[in-house]
Amino acid sequence: MTVLSAEQLSKQYNGTLALNNLNLSVDKGEVFCLLGQNGAGKTTTINLFLGFTAASSGKAMINGIEVHPNDSSTRQFVAYIPEIVQLYGNLNGIENLDFFSRLAGFKYAGAQLSSFLLKAGLQETAHRRSLSTYSKGMRQKVGIAIALAKNADVILMDEPTSGLDPKATDEFTRICKELAADGKAIFMATHDIFNAVNVGARIGIMKQGSLVHTLHSNEITANELQQLYLETI
Amino acid sequence: MNISTTKLFAAQIYWNTLKNKALRVLLGIVALLIIYAAFSGALIYQEQTQTRQHYQHEVRTNWEKMPDKHPHRMAHYGYIVFRPKHLLSVFDYGMESFTGNAVFLEAHRQNSANFSEAGFSTGMLRFGEISMSMILQVLVPLVIFFIGFGAIATDRENGTLKMLLSQGATWKEILTGKAIGLLGIAVSVLLFAVVVLLVACLGIAGSQINGDDILRIGTVLLTYTLYFSIICLLTVIISAVSRTAKFSLVILIGIWLTAVVIFPRTAQAIGNFLYHTPSRIAFEAAVEKDLIKKGDSHNPDDPYYKALKDSVLKAYHVQSVDELPFNYGGFQMKEGERLSADIYNQHLAGLLGIYQQQNNVLRLSAIVNPFTALRNLSMAVSGTDFQSYTGFQQQAETYRYALAQHMNDLQIKYISNKKPDDHDHPPSISKAHWKEFPDFAYQRASLGTVMYHELWSLLALLCWTAGLLLLIKLLSNKLKAI
Repeated sequence: MTVLSAEQLSKQYNGTLALNNLNLSVDKGEVFCLLGQNGAGKTTTINLFLGFTAASSGKAMINGIEVHPNDSSTRQFVAYIPEIVQLYGNLNGIENLDFFSRLAGFKYAGAQLSSFLLKAGLQETAHRRSLSTYSKGMRQKVGIAIALAKNADVILMDEPTSGLDPKATDEFTRICKELAADGKAIFMATHDIFNAVNVGARIGIMKQGSLVHTLHSNEITANELQQLYLETI
Repeated sequence: MNISTTKLFAAQIYWNTLKNKALRVLLGIVALLIIYAAFSGALIYQEQTQTRQHYQHEVRTNWEKMPDKHPHRMAHYGYIVFRPKHLLSVFDYGMESFTGNAVFLEAHRQNSANFSEAGFSTGMLRFGEISMSMILQVLVPLVIFFIGFGAIATDRENGTLKMLLSQGATWKEILTGKAIGLLGIAVSVLLFAVVVLLVACLGIAGSQINGDDILRIGTVLLTYTLYFSIICLLTVIISAVSRTAKFSLVILIGIWLTAVVIFPRTAQAIGNFLYHTPSRIAFEAAVEKDLIKKGDSHNPDDPYYKALKDSVLKAYHVQSVDELPFNYGGFQMKEGERLSADIYNQHLAGLLGIYQQQNNVLRLSAIVNPFTALRNLSMAVSGTDFQSYTGFQQQAETYRYALAQHMNDLQIKYISNKKPDDHDHPPSISKAHWKEFPDFAYQRASLGTVMYHELWSLLALLCWTAGLLLLIKLLSNKLKAI
């Protein structure tokens, strides 16, 4: 079942084509990784799905509903994890999760909030510590917990493993797989080719706003993908 | 707009501020300054009120103790009236320190108010006083700017804004909620200041606090809340439209400098340039010139007074003033006083008109500068504005005129027209008459009158608040997370 789709989606910024006629779909329980250089159009695609910018033409759809700018009706189905999850440094993990869950309309008890953080891989000893003491990986886990608490159908991730150490990346990959197994559709923009092969069911390669290749991860090795990527960009 | 989401943002910024150690220290310093300002304001009020009451009483006692005298000598002996301080001068010193507090009243002469606090200081007063109003008008907005400059700009910079919006929050909820949170901090400081003010007022005036004082404190609360609403709305708007928190801070400090430092001085300078006031010497010379033109009541050969005398003699069918059934000297003095007062009042009305025009420039500027609007309102409500000062001057002049004319009436009625011989006692009347004339009682303008005069300032604050709320509504559809 398709929960995220783009139909001939294009975006121009001051005459420059940032996204050119994008067509893609992501099903429930699927992880789609989008590779591409800086400026290839990955973040623009995510911004269009979030309704942060208006499409020049075409449609961005979530759960069959067209996304419109500043219309929060489709945002109830979406969770977003940016490259750097900063949140609020003076609040602890639980407080941050509580704040963002309440924004989405969910009010959880402390134990429930803790269970989301645990499921996201954050150790209990860190739950009541100020976020200003967290590493980048730990912050990413709070971001995942926010997505879990929202029970979003779609999770949009913008280079979430950038700057993570290999162990943290591996842990992040494991959690993503668990989320997909739980039926979440994950759309991840990334530079990390090896992680894309590892976590993604399908992989797209983007160049100058166009989706040039779409591959199934079981059809290609990381080395082959790297070769294709380097040839493409 | 979801109210619970708005409340969430409001609570987030409010409690996060109170959790922040540096901001707690900053707010603590503001609180200490408020207590200090209230204490020093109360002390100044108490000292000056006691001094003025003491000397007002002494002036009255000396007046009543004067022996039997010629009433015209009493008119020249004169009287001093003191301007009582308003209880709310504890809150806002306004122009108090720079305007005179006492006027010497005498026949034929209109003296201006003297003995300002600035006149008795080293001149350091020019560099400002720490009053509760100054802290609330000048420092608290700066603190709000420091707390709120990154309210949205920081979230934008670090990507949190996108997370907030992706969670379903709308721009309107974010802007309104954060503005309410900031307002909560400002109003907490304001409420603290009002409580401290009430304690100070109770400490110095006790049961003398009346309904008007309470209403005025309520007006302070209302007008300052409006002012802080403007500050908080402005803070979140600037933070929302700024690409970075640093840029937001620079813009907000620029606004603060312009509104608090540059603009009021510029408006005052423009007022002075457009409506030039004569120097004191020029003013007095112009009055003197008109008086001389009209006649000298002390000179029996003056043409105006000679004509007056001739008409009186003719009306009473007598040949000399000695034959008149009343004291002609007193009659002539009364006419002289009337003429000199008329001339002075005409000149004073002209001068006050120029002052009014100068003040109108500043008052009009309130529409572009809410700081000016609040400052005008605050001084007016506290009874320390220019209007209160001129009100006192006018009442003092009315009292002086009545006193001089009363003495003239006594002379007309009780002093004989016959000149005393060398061995006679000089003509005089009983000292019992001195008590007949009541003491000076300054009547303050009611709060309604004050607010009517400052309606423009109040409208300016309301327009600013409504305009910024409208801007938030418009921006909510225009702002972008990226």
